[in-house]
Amino acid sequence: MMTIGEARIRVPSKIQKGDLISVSAIVQHPMDTGFFRSADGQPIPAYFIKDVTVTYAGQQVAHFMWTSGISRDPVVTFTLIADREGPLTIRWVDNKGAAFEQTAQIAFSTT
Amino acid sequence: MSRTPEEPPRREFLKQGLAIGVALAAGQALRPGRVFGSVVDPDPEVPNEQVARILKDLFGDRPIRRGQVVLDMPVVAEDGRVVPVMIEAPDLPMTTGNYVKAVHLIVDHNPDPYLAAFDVTPAMGKLSLQFRIKMKRTTWVRAIVETSSGEVWADYARVTVSLNGCG
Repeated sequence: MMTIGEARIRVPSKIQKGDLISVSAIVQHPMDTGFFRSADGQPIPAYFIKDVTVTYAGQQVAHFMWTSGISRDPVVTFTLIADREGPLTIRWVDNKGAAFEQTAQIAFSTT
Repeated sequence: MSRTPEEPPRREFLKQGLAIGVALAAGQALRPGRVFGSVVDPDPEVPNEQVARILKDLFGDRPIRRGQVVLDMPVVAEDGRVVPVMIEAPDLPMTTGNYVKAVHLIVDHNPDPYLAAFDVTPAMGKLSLQFRIKMKRTTWVRAIVETSSGEVWADYARVTVSLNGCG
């Protein structure tokens, strides 16, 4: 059973200060368009993530505006310059106003 | 059949062939990294009033030039519910004074063509985005970026959709 709003963020396991890293994130969400009907013929109302905010060590670094045209269980991959240690937080807000958040720590490896 | 000893037709033919080869190679060099999608299409026409209004609202009268941004999508999408999108702008600067500030994705023949917008910042280091979208039917897809200095760059992909992913 899928839990709406369950989210994961993936960052490289070893990061050196100044690296250009790739960040991948997934959030579980049906992303219903409002155009489909259920098996018993009832219309399924639109229900989707519409707003994504990426914050890195207290600074907003990206903001995405989505529609139900994004596939279900949205994934997104982007780059980031890892120039300081701190939390990388992604916050997803859906069209019903529910907010989901996940955080990955950006820490520099000592080796 | 007037051959001159200096320029036999065979040599002339080889020269022309070489010139064409060089021209083709140069053409390829100007469009690096195109693995998917078509290579030399003209800009797609604006298909309807809805898309025209979206472009007008976003960019006003600023010219939308083709280049700098690379949109990669499959040529054929078997399942319109999950179509991968890659957008990159490897040669556009991402520094505090000069950077890509937004990316817009428009799918001409989707029920809601203005599918997504991404506000980005120099903290990202470069523009490289990957995600997955739904597509209703075969159409052009437009990836359009705006820079901090107001330039507008675009790339287009024609995607053939086998299974409607929008209902």
